[in-house]
Amino acid sequence: MSHIVQIEAQVRDPVAIRAACSRLQLPEPHLGSAKLFSGLREGWIVQLSGWRYPVVCNCNSGQVDFDNYEGHWGARSRLDAFLQRYAVEKTLIEARRQGHSVVEQSLADGSVKLTVNVAGGAS
Amino acid sequence: MKTIEIIVAPDGNTRAETFGFSGQSCREASRFIESALGKATNETLKPEFHQATGSQQQSTRQ
Repeated sequence: MSHIVQIEAQVRDPVAIRAACSRLQLPEPHLGSAKLFSGLREGWIVQLSGWRYPVVCNCNSGQVDFDNYEGHWGARSRLDAFLQRYAVEKTLIEARRQGHSVVEQSLADGSVKLTVNVAGGAS
Repeated sequence: MKTIEIIVAPDGNTRAETFGFSGQSCREASRFIESALGKATNETLKPEFHQATGSQQQSTRQ
Protein backbone atom coordinates (compact mmCIF):
# COMPACT_ATOMS: atom_id res chain seq x y z
CA MET A 1 0.00 0.00 0.00
CA SER A 2 1.12 3.53 -0.62
CA HIS A 3 -0.28 6.75 0.61
CA ILE A 4 0.02 10.52 0.55
CA VAL A 5 0.03 12.59 3.73
CA GLN A 6 -0.38 16.34 4.08
CA ILE A 7 1.47 17.76 7.09
CA GLU A 8 0.86 21.09 8.78
CA ALA A 9 4.22 22.48 9.89
CA GLN A 10 5.17 22.79 13.55
CA VAL A 11 8.55 24.02 14.78
CA ARG A 12 9.89 21.88 17.63
CA ASP A 13 13.59 21.17 17.06
CA PRO A 14 16.26 23.74 18.07
CA VAL A 15 18.90 21.90 16.02
CA ALA A 16 16.83 22.29 12.86
CA ILE A 17 16.06 25.94 13.74
CA ARG A 18 19.79 26.59 14.02
CA ALA A 19 20.48 24.79 10.74
CA ALA A 20 17.77 26.78 8.96
CA CYS A 21 19.16 30.09 10.25
CA SER A 22 22.65 29.11 9.17
CA ARG A 23 21.50 28.10 5.70
CA LEU A 24 19.53 31.35 5.28
CA GLN A 25 22.44 33.38 6.67
CA LEU A 26 20.35 34.71 9.54
CA PRO A 27 21.84 35.61 12.94
CA GLU A 28 22.32 32.61 15.20
CA PRO A 29 19.09 31.89 17.12
CA HIS A 30 19.09 31.92 20.90
CA LEU A 31 16.81 30.69 23.65
CA GLY A 32 15.24 33.47 25.67
CA SER A 33 12.44 35.99 25.68
CA ALA A 34 11.67 38.69 23.16
CA LYS A 35 9.31 41.62 23.09
CA LEU A 36 6.87 41.60 20.25
CA PHE A 37 4.40 44.44 19.76
CA SER A 38 1.72 42.22 21.28
CA GLY A 39 3.81 41.33 24.34
CA LEU A 40 6.63 39.22 25.67
CA ARG A 41 7.19 35.71 24.27
CA GLU A 42 9.62 32.99 25.29
CA GLY A 43 11.30 30.46 23.03
CA TRP A 44 13.94 30.32 20.34
CA ILE A 45 14.44 33.82 18.98
CA VAL A 46 14.96 34.14 15.24
CA GLN A 47 15.64 37.49 13.60
CA LEU A 48 14.44 37.57 10.00
CA SER A 49 15.89 40.03 7.50
CA GLY A 50 14.02 43.33 7.47
CA TRP A 51 11.69 42.37 10.32
CA ARG A 52 11.06 44.89 13.10
CA TYR A 53 10.31 42.20 15.70
CA PRO A 54 11.88 38.76 15.97
CA VAL A 55 10.06 35.50 15.41
CA VAL A 56 9.72 33.35 18.54
CA CYS A 57 9.57 29.57 18.16
CA ASN A 58 8.02 27.71 21.09
CA CYS A 59 9.45 24.21 20.73
CA ASN A 60 7.06 22.78 23.31
CA SER A 61 3.93 23.76 21.44
CA GLY A 62 5.40 23.93 17.93
CA GLN A 63 3.88 27.38 17.61
CA VAL A 64 5.66 30.30 15.95
CA ASP A 65 4.80 33.74 17.33
CA PHE A 66 5.41 36.83 15.23
CA ASP A 67 4.04 40.29 14.68
CA ASN A 68 4.60 41.73 11.24
CA TYR A 69 1.51 43.95 11.10
CA GLU A 70 0.23 42.27 7.95
CA GLY A 71 3.53 42.79 6.17
CA HIS A 72 4.23 46.38 7.24
CA TRP A 73 6.84 45.26 9.79
CA GLY A 74 8.33 42.43 7.78
CA ALA A 75 7.64 40.47 4.61
CA ARG A 76 5.69 37.26 5.08
CA SER A 77 7.88 35.65 2.40
CA ARG A 78 10.86 35.81 4.79
CA LEU A 79 8.95 33.85 7.41
CA ASP A 80 7.76 31.35 4.81
CA ALA A 81 11.36 30.84 3.65
CA PHE A 82 12.40 30.14 7.24
CA LEU A 83 9.54 27.66 7.75
CA GLN A 84 10.37 25.91 4.51
CA ARG A 85 14.04 25.62 5.36
CA TYR A 86 13.20 24.41 8.86
CA ALA A 87 11.06 21.61 7.39
CA VAL A 88 13.85 20.64 4.99
CA GLU A 89 16.51 20.60 7.69
CA LYS A 90 14.27 18.66 10.09
CA THR A 91 13.54 16.06 7.42
CA LEU A 92 17.26 15.68 6.66
CA ILE A 93 18.06 15.24 10.35
CA GLU A 94 15.34 12.66 10.98
CA ALA A 95 15.91 10.68 7.78
CA ARG A 96 19.62 10.35 8.52
CA ARG A 97 18.86 9.42 12.11
CA GLN A 98 16.78 6.55 10.71
CA GLY A 99 19.74 5.49 8.56
CA HIS A 100 18.20 6.60 5.27
CA SER A 101 19.93 8.52 2.51
CA VAL A 102 18.28 11.69 1.18
CA VAL A 103 18.52 13.57 -2.11
CA GLU A 104 17.49 17.25 -2.09
CA GLN A 105 16.25 19.04 -5.19
CA SER A 106 14.90 22.56 -5.73
CA LEU A 107 11.78 22.73 -7.92
CA ALA A 108 10.79 25.50 -10.33
CA ASP A 109 7.80 26.57 -8.23
CA GLY A 110 9.99 27.27 -5.21
CA SER A 111 9.26 23.97 -3.47
CA VAL A 112 12.00 21.66 -2.26
CA LYS A 113 11.77 17.96 -3.05
CA LEU A 114 13.43 15.45 -0.73
CA THR A 115 13.69 11.83 -1.84
CA VAL A 116 14.32 9.48 1.07
CA ASN A 117 15.67 6.07 0.13
CA VAL A 118 14.40 3.74 2.81
CA ALA A 119 17.15 1.34 3.80
CA GLY A 120 16.18 -2.25 4.73
CA GLY A 121 13.78 -2.74 7.64
CA ALA A 122 10.30 -1.92 6.40
CA SER A 123 9.22 -4.01 3.40
CA MET B 1 13.25 0.39 -4.18
CA LYS B 2 11.27 1.91 -1.33
CA THR B 3 11.25 5.68 -1.23
CA ILE B 4 9.43 8.51 0.51
CA GLU B 5 9.07 11.67 -1.54
CA ILE B 6 8.60 14.83 0.50
CA ILE B 7 7.63 18.12 -1.11
CA VAL B 8 8.15 21.15 1.13
CA ALA B 9 6.11 24.05 -0.24
CA PRO B 10 7.43 27.63 -0.16
CA ASP B 11 5.27 28.25 2.93
CA GLY B 12 6.74 25.30 4.82
CA ASN B 13 3.78 22.96 4.53
CA THR B 14 4.71 19.48 3.51
CA ARG B 15 3.35 16.60 1.48
CA ALA B 16 4.82 13.14 1.88
CA GLU B 17 4.19 10.32 -0.59
CA THR B 18 5.43 6.76 -0.31
CA PHE B 19 6.49 4.50 -3.19
CA GLY B 20 7.24 0.80 -3.41
CA PHE B 21 5.84 -0.33 -0.09
CA SER B 22 3.48 -3.19 0.56
CA GLY B 23 0.80 -3.58 3.20
CA GLN B 24 0.78 -1.15 6.09
CA SER B 25 4.55 -0.69 5.99
CA CYS B 26 4.29 2.63 4.14
CA ARG B 27 2.56 4.13 7.15
CA GLU B 28 5.25 2.83 9.47
CA ALA B 29 8.00 4.05 7.15
CA SER B 30 6.69 7.58 6.84
CA ARG B 31 5.57 7.99 10.44
CA PHE B 32 8.89 9.51 11.48
CA ILE B 33 8.46 12.24 8.88
CA GLU B 34 4.95 13.01 10.03
CA SER B 35 5.85 13.16 13.71
CA ALA B 36 9.02 15.17 13.00
CA LEU B 37 7.40 17.89 10.94
CA GLY B 38 4.11 18.51 12.63
CA LYS B 39 0.55 17.37 12.41
CA ALA B 40 -0.80 15.17 9.64
CA THR B 41 -3.97 16.83 8.39
CA ASN B 42 -5.01 14.54 5.57
CA GLU B 43 -4.16 11.09 4.30
CA THR B 44 -4.97 9.75 0.84
CA LEU B 45 -4.58 6.11 -0.07
CA LYS B 46 -3.15 5.67 -3.56
CA PRO B 47 -4.93 3.80 -6.39
CA GLU B 48 -2.90 0.61 -6.11
CA PHE B 49 -4.27 0.17 -2.63
CA HIS B 50 -7.86 0.45 -3.86
CA GLN B 51 -7.24 -1.97 -6.71
CA ALA B 52 -6.16 -4.51 -4.15
CA THR B 53 -8.82 -3.92 -1.53
CA GLY B 54 -11.61 -1.85 -3.06
CA SER B 55 -11.85 0.11 0.15
CA GLN B 56 -12.86 3.70 0.63
CA GLN B 57 -10.71 6.18 -1.25
CA GLN B 58 -9.87 8.79 1.31
CA SER B 59 -9.66 9.06 5.05
CA THR B 60 -9.09 12.19 7.05
CA ARG B 61 -7.53 12.31 10.45
CA GLN B 62 -6.64 15.03 12.87
